[in-house]
Amino acid sequence: MSESPVLKVTDLVVHFETRRGFRQRTTVRAVDGVSFDISQGEILALVGESGCGKSTIAMSVMRLLEPTSGRIMVEGQDLAALRGRELRRARQRIQMIFQDPFGSLDGRQTVYESVAEPLVVHRLGREEGERRRRVLAALDLAHLRPPERLAANYPHELSGGQRQRVAIASAMVLEPALVIADEPVSMLDVSARAGILRLMMDLRDRTGVSYLFITHELAVAWMVADRLAVLYLGRVVEIGTSPEVVANPAHPYTRALLEVTGGDDELGEGAVLAGETPSASRVPEGCRFHPRCPLYAERGQPEVCRTQDPVLCGVGQAAQAEREHLVACHFPNTDDRGAP
Amino acid sequence: MSLLAIHELSVDYALGGGSLRAVDSVSLEVERGESVGVVGESGCGKTTLGLAIPLLLPDNATIPQGSIQLNGEELVGLSEEAMRRHRWTDVAFIFQGAMNALNPVQRVDRQIREAIRAHEPTTTKDEADDRVLSLLDLVGIAPSRARSYPHEFSGGMRQRAMIAMSLACQPSLLIADEPTTALDVISQAQILALLASLQRRESLSLLMISHDLAAIKRVCGRLLVMYAGIVVESGPTRLLLGHGIRDAQAAHPYTQALIRSHPDLQGERQLAEGLTGHPPDLSRPMVGCRFADRCPKAEDRCRMIAPVPVTLAPGHLASCHLLEAT
Repeated sequence: MSESPVLKVTDLVVHFETRRGFRQRTTVRAVDGVSFDISQGEILALVGESGCGKSTIAMSVMRLLEPTSGRIMVEGQDLAALRGRELRRARQRIQMIFQDPFGSLDGRQTVYESVAEPLVVHRLGREEGERRRRVLAALDLAHLRPPERLAANYPHELSGGQRQRVAIASAMVLEPALVIADEPVSMLDVSARAGILRLMMDLRDRTGVSYLFITHELAVAWMVADRLAVLYLGRVVEIGTSPEVVANPAHPYTRALLEVTGGDDELGEGAVLAGETPSASRVPEGCRFHPRCPLYAERGQPEVCRTQDPVLCGVGQAAQAEREHLVACHFPNTDDRGAP
Repeated sequence: MSLLAIHELSVDYALGGGSLRAVDSVSLEVERGESVGVVGESGCGKTTLGLAIPLLLPDNATIPQGSIQLNGEELVGLSEEAMRRHRWTDVAFIFQGAMNALNPVQRVDRQIREAIRAHEPTTTKDEADDRVLSLLDLVGIAPSRARSYPHEFSGGMRQRAMIAMSLACQPSLLIADEPTTALDVISQAQILALLASLQRRESLSLLMISHDLAAIKRVCGRLLVMYAGIVVESGPTRLLLGHGIRDAQAAHPYTQALIRSHPDLQGERQLAEGLTGHPPDLSRPMVGCRFADRCPKAEDRCRMIAPVPVTLAPGHLASCHLLEAT
């Protein structure tokens, strides 16, 4: 490897201690041993339902949360080891876009002020002309055109899609190496979504920025991400290139997600995965998915699923490839391999 | 006679001096045992339409024209008192975020029982209790969970409980506005499968309102597409949406854009163009086709003359000049 990845997360664990009643303490295992990396210009999607830990991972990468254990390296630097000016400089390299373009912008600030704020905070472009140039360039980059006119607007004068473009412009104004996008289109109208996703991909092509793209929609992840990681209850259960994972899903949970997103025909009540994701304070023994797993039932409740926590292993021929397709399941599906 | 027949219904909102027509001359029918979907983006008037049927519009809304007939009886103009007799027993509704409407300090079974007894005062407590259990069973909640408080339920279970409650007085029509929006994907699929099976098993008539074509496709036999307060296309869901992008036969450019905007795992892994611009300002007078400004195929006549619905196949109508026979 010539270059270190933009982001490398190794064995990340984030546990929270909570109290139940007076004496009882429980541990919420929000993130329970997660590893992945993102190369320069790559889009990695974290896909999962609420409670799977995807936002906790984002918060840890931003260092808004202190991980219980594990390592987060940004451009080869361990964020936890940095202090003061160095930490501030490293933080400029990671920016975030949030789900709600209505809540994430200050209603009393003009678009110009919102986009200029990160520069002020990081004491960049201190000369007024330089700052103005950078803000207008960021607005233009986010297709807010003409930038001079839109800069004077307030958020309430903009549509949801335009607001999200402002949020993207204020993330891009610092020229980050990595942008964490937490459900960036899920509050937008469907017709506006494609525009925002297209903009994000376009920015990747033009600036080489990488994305950690967090979504609950497998189809959106498949569309924009180079690779995707499926999370269940604080663990990556499957990871690989997006076309590969969608064409040959090896984990029964990924298959269940695909079935409900496939959108074809009505689903009988029996066809949908039953039950609900258990609480992260009561992670099942063995494979954490086994109580809901259709395979576990089909195979006559094998003991290994109840007792052994499966680790990520390579799937099929992809196991030899550089960017592997990995799955954490004792009985991964490999039947479909080669099917159209 | 249709169970629900809406004829040229309009709804205006008074807004600081001016007014805005959120629903403009919409007609639709729901037959007994049929499920109809209304799809559109925010601001298209779909929620206003759903609120108008049980006369639950906000105070600044008026119905300047049109009729809503349920079982042959006209609802427009009914007093609150008279309408109250129809709600729950003839028409019930589940609104967006309905699962948060449960009373947090009352057990779920009790809330459903109260609903039954409020609308059917002659029902005894024991009869009501039996019905509560069979209703919960219908939506897949075990009797052992009936005495739970809402916070002990997950979002999906609360939504199931709300569906059970809405069915408590055996309504002939259920209106569901975005019934799955705040839920996780698996719970969404579970609730949609539940609605579809209830609709079939209990021969319930359903009017489902959603921005999500995939959700409508799972549940509804017929589909209406709304844009800027009007219905731009309607027809059998199967025909309009097909199995995916490739065999969808929707004819209106707006419906086509909506379909393309939904990523299709069976289709190409490529982002759609998406729509630029915004829907028109409903407080201004409308000239021509309302979609013309955003339509990639718009011609001069589109900006001047409003199109009328054209029948393309039995039951399939679309309002677009480009579909008119030349």
